[in-house]
Amino acid sequence: MNGHVKSMHFQRFMETATTLLSLLLVMAFDSSRTVAASRNQQCGDYVQKSLKLSRLLQKESVDLIKTYKASQGEMSELFCKVSVNNVPDPNISGLEPSEKIASIYTHLQEFFPHFEWVYEQQTDLQLPTSPLLSDLRRFTAGSRNLAYLIKPFYQSLFPNVPLPEGGPTTLPPPQNIFQQKVYGCVVLKTFKELLSNVSRELRSLKSQVCRRRTHTNTLF
Amino acid sequence: MVSAGELLLLAGLVLAAAATGDPPGKPENVFCVAVQEKTTISSTFRCDWATVGRQTSDVPTKYTLNVVVIHIRNYSVSTEGTHAQVEFVDTYPHFMTLEIWVEAHNMLGKIESERITQDANSFVKTNPPSDIKVISEKYFPTSPLMNWTQPINKSYGKLKYEIRFCTSGSPNWTYVPKGDIATDIQSFRLQSLQPYTEYITQVRCQLGHWSDWSGTTMKTAEDRPTSKPDLWRTIAEVDGKNERRVQFISKDPVFANGRIITFDIKIQEQKNDNLQWDTILVNGSESSDGQRVITVLKDMLLADLRPVRLCVTANNSVGTSPMASLFISAKGREDPPVKGLKVWSAEGKLWLQWTPPNGPDLSEYVVEWVSGEQTDWQRENKNTRLTAIKGNLEGFVRYTVSVYSIYSGRIGKPASKEAYLKEGAPLEGPVVRLNDKPGRNEAELGWVEIPLHRQRGFIVNYTINYTGGGETHEVTVPGNTVSYTLKSLSSNTKYDTWINASTVRGSAQSSTHSFTTLKYAPGEVESIVVGVSLGFMFVVLMTMLLCLYKKDVIKENVWPRIPNPGESTIGNWSPDYPLKAETPKENCLSGISVQDVDVCDGKSVFEEDKACLPLKKDKYLSEEHSSGIGGSSCMSSPRQSVSDSDEGSDMADTTASTVQYSSVVASNGYKGQTPNPHPQQAVFSRSESTQPLLDSEENPDMMIQESSRQSQGFKQENPAEIHLLEMDQQQEEEGVESLGFCPLDEESEQTKPSEGQSAASSYMSQREGYRPQ
Repeated sequence: MNGHVKSMHFQRFMETATTLLSLLLVMAFDSSRTVAASRNQQCGDYVQKSLKLSRLLQKESVDLIKTYKASQGEMSELFCKVSVNNVPDPNISGLEPSEKIASIYTHLQEFFPHFEWVYEQQTDLQLPTSPLLSDLRRFTAGSRNLAYLIKPFYQSLFPNVPLPEGGPTTLPPPQNIFQQKVYGCVVLKTFKELLSNVSRELRSLKSQVCRRRTHTNTLF
Repeated sequence: MVSAGELLLLAGLVLAAAATGDPPGKPENVFCVAVQEKTTISSTFRCDWATVGRQTSDVPTKYTLNVVVIHIRNYSVSTEGTHAQVEFVDTYPHFMTLEIWVEAHNMLGKIESERITQDANSFVKTNPPSDIKVISEKYFPTSPLMNWTQPINKSYGKLKYEIRFCTSGSPNWTYVPKGDIATDIQSFRLQSLQPYTEYITQVRCQLGHWSDWSGTTMKTAEDRPTSKPDLWRTIAEVDGKNERRVQFISKDPVFANGRIITFDIKIQEQKNDNLQWDTILVNGSESSDGQRVITVLKDMLLADLRPVRLCVTANNSVGTSPMASLFISAKGREDPPVKGLKVWSAEGKLWLQWTPPNGPDLSEYVVEWVSGEQTDWQRENKNTRLTAIKGNLEGFVRYTVSVYSIYSGRIGKPASKEAYLKEGAPLEGPVVRLNDKPGRNEAELGWVEIPLHRQRGFIVNYTINYTGGGETHEVTVPGNTVSYTLKSLSSNTKYDTWINASTVRGSAQSSTHSFTTLKYAPGEVESIVVGVSLGFMFVVLMTMLLCLYKKDVIKENVWPRIPNPGESTIGNWSPDYPLKAETPKENCLSGISVQDVDVCDGKSVFEEDKACLPLKKDKYLSEEHSSGIGGSSCMSSPRQSVSDSDEGSDMADTTASTVQYSSVVASNGYKGQTPNPHPQQAVFSRSESTQPLLDSEENPDMMIQESSRQSQGFKQENPAEIHLLEMDQQQEEEGVESLGFCPLDEESEQTKPSEGQSAASSYMSQREGYRPQ
């Protein structure tokens, strides 16, 4: 067999290989696009649901604060204006989306013990049929649902990065009634602020995280 | 050895074999809902499903509702029914994904329904929108603005809405296109509604499931009328004049778009008339049953040969309608009518069908229906051939239905028919009466037609029933009859009669009318009386004529001239014939013997003298004779006057004739005395009365000769003489009979010859008439 023939075979082999490779690449690209599309949709759904729920909770927090104030008697307007220690920070921290999402989740989780603490206090202060108590329960449950939505959202985006659960919660020391009333109002008001921050972050994350992943997948 | 497990398995198999049932069927149509509670969504989540397959008590099926809140929690609840509900913890899982399925299981198996995986909000049913208001603005009468309050905060989700509306009383809804309604709104402007119209508007919302409808009723604002008034007319003839009473009437325009306040009219009778508009105020009432109110615009008298045009516009609070006009042609110059008009009732409506006329410029038809004083109409397109009356018609009322062809505003000749929407039996029968007095065998019955408003249908026929004399009869006559003559009735019989008036739906009976036929036909009694009277009058007349014709005879017989002794003088008169002795009759008057001088003398003889006649027979053959008393009377009316004179009533009456009435026989024979056998020369004395003399007295010789001839004749020819006498007697009898006198008996007739002999001779002279003395 001469070299000419050998080179021809090689060329043919190369052509075939190239063709196959291209085909594989196209298939890979297409599958990635499909996966990306589904991931994108899922990403968007999470963000969307989280956004809607946070807005709902924001609205309910406004109503809840009104109900709380109405249930505390005189000088209730002043309660929310007092600064109280040991109330969780409502600000979202982090630069990266993963950090922000994790911050959202951990901050939400931090408020749940305080909600329970306020509920217990109000149980002593209010009648069993007081609408404040049912509203507090509903609001707390809704807030937990928001956290339950953030978690799979984060995990869908960052499956390999564990979501931090947050540190131990520091509840205030025993308080008198006035302090309890103030404390409860401050907790609700702070959480409302958190919800506002969460909504803002989620809106920006939607464009950042869900679109960027699509772009990344496309490049890949 | 059998193990316990094998025993259990065997037992299960035995039980399964013993149980009668089927494996559970797959639950289908799983429907779940969470309803609104106050301002939030209830945490109670209810699901319903349908069972499939046979359910038996031996193998009961249990259902388990499974609800999974993804990433959060699982819920399940079991039931043997077809619905179940779970309670979410503290709050409805808004914006969370739910996975729902129903599991059915029984001893024979287990099966799941289709799994539903949806957002939790898709199962939410909110309350309907509240506080709905619809505002119709003056400048947008066809586009009212609808406002409402959404039932739930929009933070729970964006609500979709659906809006619909319909006119009050109409079952047909008009839906606003869904694409025209945005989400999360609380107001919407409706479009293309009719002005001044009442609408029902409704709205519902949707978060997951559609809510119930909620709505309100509203009326749109007025707008200018956008269609012409519906102008029409009624025409009535005026008796005795070449004029018509024309009344122009109008209904509000179909699209009045408000309450019509006034009509403006203009009447044009001459071609170049340029009249002003007159304003007619409209009665403020509005129709309540959907029928438009009819307003009388103008009432006028119009000459038959003159046409007229009326123009009208309608005004409401916003503006004026387009103008309508109507032209009424001169009488006899109308355009041709439609042909072949048929009217019938079907399906609760009155239907009309016709064939179009041949005239050009046909623009439309007007269908008119009139009942009494009420007129209504509707307009039909020029292509219409079949239609039904849309107005409210009443049953049992007669309508005159007409179709008019309209030629560019000119009204053509109508084609009319009468019809009922629904017919029934008349409410009352006709009023029966007799047209005239009943006759002997017939009577003319008449009846007054039932008033139109009580007929309730077309009278098809009348059935006349009459009973009398133990018989009942029935006669049927057409419905357009108002009288009938009953014939072949029994006379002097009471009849009861009644009439049934019938329509196609039934009949009504009149009251009973009684009458009695006459015993005699009218005029029968009169004819009898007249006949009898005429006969009597005829008899009287004939008698009078006879009397006139025979007055002399009658006079002589009835009123014989009796010489007035006061005017008589004694005179001597001696005839030349021997006298014969006569045996005076006892019954005769002294010195005077009666002598019959008539042909029928035998009859004129007094009855008292009849006994003497046999005696006198002989006596008369002698020269002596005597004149009879009352001879004239015997002549005149011996038949009657004999009897009369027997009574002696009229003997003294004398006539103006101067018939010799008596002669005095100079005899010495007194009654009962024996006559002198030796006759002496008779010297007669007679009274010089104006009575004419008998021939025998004047010519005694002639009398003797004649008497002797006669006696010879009699002797020789007795049978002949008798026959002659009989003939005479027959003549007399005939004469008597003709006058109606009674005939004499035979005896007197037999004696007649002798008497008649001499009497005939003397009578004959007398017959010759008056002999002056």
